[in-house]
Parts: sequence; structure tokens; C-alpha cells
Amino acid sequence: MACAPRALSRAQLQLNSRASPFPPPLLTVGPPPMEEEQTYLELYLDQCTAQDDLAAPRSPLLSPVVPDDGYIPNTSNSETVFNAHLQEVKGASGHFSSVDLSFLPDELTQESKDQSVIRSKQDIEENGKTQSQQSRLSLPREQDIGLGLISDSTLSKSHSQAYPGDADSDQPSPEKPNSTPLMSITPMTPVTPVSECSGIVPQLQNIVSTVNLACKLDLKKIALHAKNAEYNPKRFAAVIMRIREPRTTALIFSSGKMVCTGAKSEEQSRLAARKYARVVQKLGFPARFLDFKIQNMVGSCDVRFPIRLEGLVLTHQQFSSYEPELFPGLIYRMVKPRIVLLIFVSGKVVLTGAKERSEIYEAFENIYPILKGFKKA
Amino acid sequence: MPGGGHCPDCGSTELVEDSHYSQSQLVCSDCGCVVTEGVLTTTFSDEGNLREVTYSRSTGENDQVSRSQQRGLRRVRDLCRVLQLPSTFEDTAVAYYQQAYRHSGIRAARLQKKEVLVGCCVLITCRQHNWPLTMGTVCALLYADLDVFSGTYMQIVKLLGLDVPSLCLADLVKTYCSSFRLFQASPSVPPKYVEDKEKMLSRTLQLVELADETWLVTGRRPLPVITAATFLAWQSLQPSHRLTCSLARFCKLANVDLPYPASSRLQELLSVLLRMAERLAWLQVLKLDKRSVVKHIGDLLQHRHTLVRKAFRDGTAEMEAGEKELRERCQGPEQGKEEVASSSLDLPEGKRPASPTPLLPPCMLKPPKRICPPPPVSTVTGDENISDSEIEQYLRTPQEIKDFEKAQAARQAARSVSNPP
Repeated sequence: MACAPRALSRAQLQLNSRASPFPPPLLTVGPPPMEEEQTYLELYLDQCTAQDDLAAPRSPLLSPVVPDDGYIPNTSNSETVFNAHLQEVKGASGHFSSVDLSFLPDELTQESKDQSVIRSKQDIEENGKTQSQQSRLSLPREQDIGLGLISDSTLSKSHSQAYPGDADSDQPSPEKPNSTPLMSITPMTPVTPVSECSGIVPQLQNIVSTVNLACKLDLKKIALHAKNAEYNPKRFAAVIMRIREPRTTALIFSSGKMVCTGAKSEEQSRLAARKYARVVQKLGFPARFLDFKIQNMVGSCDVRFPIRLEGLVLTHQQFSSYEPELFPGLIYRMVKPRIVLLIFVSGKVVLTGAKERSEIYEAFENIYPILKGFKKA
Repeated sequence: MPGGGHCPDCGSTELVEDSHYSQSQLVCSDCGCVVTEGVLTTTFSDEGNLREVTYSRSTGENDQVSRSQQRGLRRVRDLCRVLQLPSTFEDTAVAYYQQAYRHSGIRAARLQKKEVLVGCCVLITCRQHNWPLTMGTVCALLYADLDVFSGTYMQIVKLLGLDVPSLCLADLVKTYCSSFRLFQASPSVPPKYVEDKEKMLSRTLQLVELADETWLVTGRRPLPVITAATFLAWQSLQPSHRLTCSLARFCKLANVDLPYPASSRLQELLSVLLRMAERLAWLQVLKLDKRSVVKHIGDLLQHRHTLVRKAFRDGTAEMEAGEKELRERCQGPEQGKEEVASSSLDLPEGKRPASPTPLLPPCMLKPPKRICPPPPVSTVTGDENISDSEIEQYLRTPQEIKDFEKAQAARQAARSVSNPP
């Protein structure tokens, strides 16, 4: 069985930490040179044929030199798992109809699915490989993915159940199963040499998410019955509730909408939101848990060298805004991905405005070479 | 024809109303003497006053413009005149204000914001012509808060899609230094404190350039650095008489406000100069401190380029090299100073001055306030079971609810008693 073609976005290749649940599938970071692609492709194919019988999917984010190392799902195996999961999702509670699929990248929506398949086909043919089987294989998977990616955690849970004896996975499943199916439909990008990656991983500092509890709430009653709630209608028209684990704060409005802030990861944010919903339930309201969506993610990191902000604002005028009289940092509005970065003279960088973890990683990988250019000024 | 009119020359009553080049005149038809003249310009509604009317009022252009916009445009013009800007700036600023007013968000904004918008338009115009106007000056003139100003400024730059160049530091130095009242003797300025403008300007410029090179300007407000540099320049030109004068007194003498960060900028600049002095052969023996180094600022500035290169080194590149050397030599007695990256010098400690310090912004040189431990890898999946006991810890028991309600009622009663109905 030939391996399904996989493409790794640069950010994912270089990171030894969790991948985002929803990596942008058709992202190519600039047009790669043809010859490089060719040789990497040959390497990849050789390794592929050698490891064809490996069943256990390990973390796909091992060293970039061997991109496919753990990333060889048995296509049949994973498909059955997906189908099983699909039923699980469908059976789960009719949330299906109210699920918000807006987080999916545009290419994965029904309309442009054909286009994406065609595009991936073209890319693959450029590489000189006949990938027709794989693309056909990938098409049904796309549909599975579209539905299967509704809740990353349930998917991962099912996968961890499916591979109980997976001793190789050093990290729990959240990242692997999601990345593998998506990888299989995207065109392959050449492996980037280790020297180009920054080696720095931005840490997530705050996640803001919203959820709809779908019932009208009596805020006075909530403030009375809950210890961890504060309600001052003259100041703000919502109850401010806090829980200790995960340490988060929620704004609960009388319409039933809730905003949850302060979590350090997507899963923690979801767990916290569920806890708040459970508190509201225990207070006697018929709260549900609809349309959980992550609205904003904030990350930060340190490049460890000083940056000449005046030089940066000169060369990247159309993206940067540097007003030392107002704020000591430079505000860089990156277009792709749409992230705002605050860059300080000490080398600390704050990234915000992301809806997905991969956007933060990608934005940092984009800015790092620019900042390195201003290192020796 | 008009009754009661006599020609002063011939006494005839035959006076004719005629207009000569649209100037109305009362002329005697017999001798041609002009009895009375009208005003050549158009008059406003009540003719008794016979006032001139400006062009903008005689045309209908302001009928289309709302009154608040007219007020704003007047404020823009007034501000440009107060700042004594060239007339072309006025037109540009007015154009920006009109452009901003086309957006509904600005039309519906509060008056405070519209007032601040006036300052923003003038500031943008000045920046685009490299005219050194600081936001502090504009806010002071408009009696506006810098926070409100900053919000409106960022919004309008984004809204109009403008490309605003950075503040030009050299021009700001010249303008700001010229405002210091030290160039002529006066009752408040003793003769020893009077200084030549050109000398002070050139030295201040050199000091500001030095500060810029050594990371003291990036990310900081520009004006305090210039204040500190001006003070040092002034002191160093006649150190014997001026060393006793403090920064605060200096600003008072010069009739200039002392910005709060200026004293810390002064200390940073002095430490940079001290480091440079350690590399100058004839100053090494002197064992200078922050006061005595002022006397030698002239020399230091003369050789500043080489001195900066020698006294500092690129912080990061050499840090790794330095650390490697440190590891190699850790057994030896050569401990050197307790710096993160020790020197790569081979000479013994006694002969050579301190190893070159890394050229880094002050925020990177200070030790971190608290070391953030890396966050533990959490294995949360988001779908764990939530135990009832965990949720119940956040709920009040019925008894607690009753107590809470009682307490609230008591508080409410106390409040209503204290507030007279």
C-alpha cells in the first residue's frame, strides 16, 4: 500500500510540540524550488516503502529530516476509526445541527472541496508523481475530516481508545490523529533544513472563547446562589464568575451567552467553559453547551536579542506602527496569517488575534527571519 | 432727486445715484462733484455697519458643512496659527479633517474626540513635512488627555490609511534646545550659566546620537532623552561652574518643564559615558565617577565611534563565545567579574579595565524581576468528567443563602438611612 501524500506546513515540521487541531491544509510557504522538491520526494518515497508495514502512528512532528517517521496511518484502519467516530458524533446528542463549522478553513467546505482536490492533484503532478490513487483516497477522507474535526478532543479520545497499546506516543493523542488525516490530502512541501527554523516556540498565554448556554438566565439568582460570582448591574450587565481549576474567568450574560477567558490552552478553555455551564445547570437552569468557539488566542515568546524598532518600521512601513511617544513596542499587523504582533526592543514578542494555534506558530516563523535581519544593527 | 441733498460745490439739488465700477456714488448732475461714496466690497445683511465680508462667507460653501465640522476646521486653522506653521500645512490639515469627517464613526463621535481629532490632523501634517511636533505639545495646547489622543490618533491613521513617518529626532533636538532660555543673561540666569547656542546644539546632537547608538532611545519617549542630553552638554561646556547645578534646577532656570523620566535617562547616559571613558587611555588612570566624567565629555564625544566599538560589543554573538570560554576556564583562578558573558581578553585582570559589557538596551541588562517557570505540560483533553463535588464547592448552601440575603437587606437598609430620602 502506498503511503498517502502528506504535506506539512513549515510550522508543524519544525515544532516538537503539539500541532494545532486544525492546521491549514493547503498552506505552502512560498513556491519551493523544483529540484529540492524532487530529491526530498525521492528520500521520502524510499523511506515510505521501507516503513510500509509500520502500524503505530507516532507523533508526526519528529525531526524534520525524516518527515514521515511516525505518520503512516494504515489508511483502512483510520477510516474505520473515523467511521466509528462519525457515528459517535452523530449519536451524541443532536449537537450536530447546531455545530458551528466556521472554524474550518475555506478549502474544506463543500463548495471548494473539488477545487482543493484538483489543486492538490496539480501540485502532485508537478512533482512528477502519479498520485491519482491517493487523491481519490483522500477525497472520501476529506468528508470524514470535515465532520470528524468538529470536536478535536473527542476525535483524539477515540483514537487513543483505538490505539491503546501505543507505547511510542510520548504525548497523549490530541495532536496526532487530527494532523494525520489532514496531512494526507494536502500536497507535500519540501522539508526545510533545520537551520532555518527558529527553534523557539511561542507559549500560549490566554484563550478567549464563547459558548451559548441557550437559555435565559436570572443573573440575580446566579449571583445569590454561587459563591464565585460577582454581579454589579450598574457597572456591567453580566455576572463575573471565576473557577480555580483551570484558572479562568467567565462573563455570563442574561441572554445565555458566555465568554470564558484566562485559559492557557484550547482544551483547558473548553473544560472551563463546561464547568461554568455545569455550575449554571446546578443552579437550576436548563443550560446546554452550544457553539463553543475560540475567539482569540494570545501567545508570547522571546527571541533573545535586541531589535532596532526604528529600522523595522522603515523597512516594513505598510505593516508596522511604531510610536515611542505612545507605546514602547512596535505594532506589526501581519496579513497572512492575520495576526497582530507586539515587538519590543528587548526581543520579546506578543502575538494575538489568532483563532488557531497554528496561526500563532506560523506568524512567529514568518516574523523571525525579519527580526533576525535587525539583529546586528 | 433725493430730498434734502445739496451739492457742496455748486449747491444744486440735482443729485444722482450712480455707480462707478460698482461703487455706488451720489453725484451732482450739474458740476459732477461726488457727494457720497459707497464701500467697494459687499456688505452684510444690515447695511448700517458696512462691514467687509470674507470670501468664504459670501460663497455658499459653508452651507453644506455642518456646524460642528465648521467649528473643527476653525480649530484646525487656529492651532496651525498658534504653532506658527507654514500656510501649506494649514490647508493639508484642513483637508485631513474634512476627509476624516466623511466617516460616520467620526461624525458620531463625542465632542472631546472631535477636539482631539483637530490635534491629530495637525500632528500628521507636521510629521509628513518632518516638522518636529510632539504629541505632548499638542495635548498641552488642546488640554487633552494623552490616552484619548493616542486612541484617536491610531484610529484616524488606520481609517484614512495614512503613512506617517517617525518623529525626526535631529529636528526635535534643534527646536527643543532653542526653547531653553540660557543663551542670554537675565535676572534668573547667572552669567556663568549662559551658553552659546550653536555649541550647545552641536554637543546635544552628538550626545543624542550616542544615546541612540547605545539603545537608550528605542522604545522610549524621545523628549526626556533630549532633556538629559541638553543638560549634560550644558554642564560639560563649563564643568567647573556648572557641576553643582542639578537637573531640576537647570530646567527651572531654562524655563522648561522637566519630564519625569529625564533623571533616569541621565543616569543611563552617564553610565554609557563611564564605560567609554574606561577605554580612553588618558582617562583610565583617573578612576572617574558619574560626576567627574562630565568634565571629559568633550573628549569622549570626539572619539565616540571608536570608543563605543571598543567599550561595547554585540551582546548576543559574543555571549555564546564568552560562555564557551567561561566553561573552558572555569577551573582556573581567572574568575573575572561576575558578568554573564565574561571577557575574551587574555591579559590579567589588574592591567586591563573591565571586560566589555554587552551593548544591550537597559531592559535587557537588568536581571529579570521574576523568572517565569515554564508552564507544566497539561494533559487536559477538554472532555473530562466534571465531578459534582467540584461544582458544588462553588455553590452556596441554603443556610449561606439566607445569611447572605439578610446581610444584603441590612446593607440596603443602612444605605437608605444614610442617604436622606
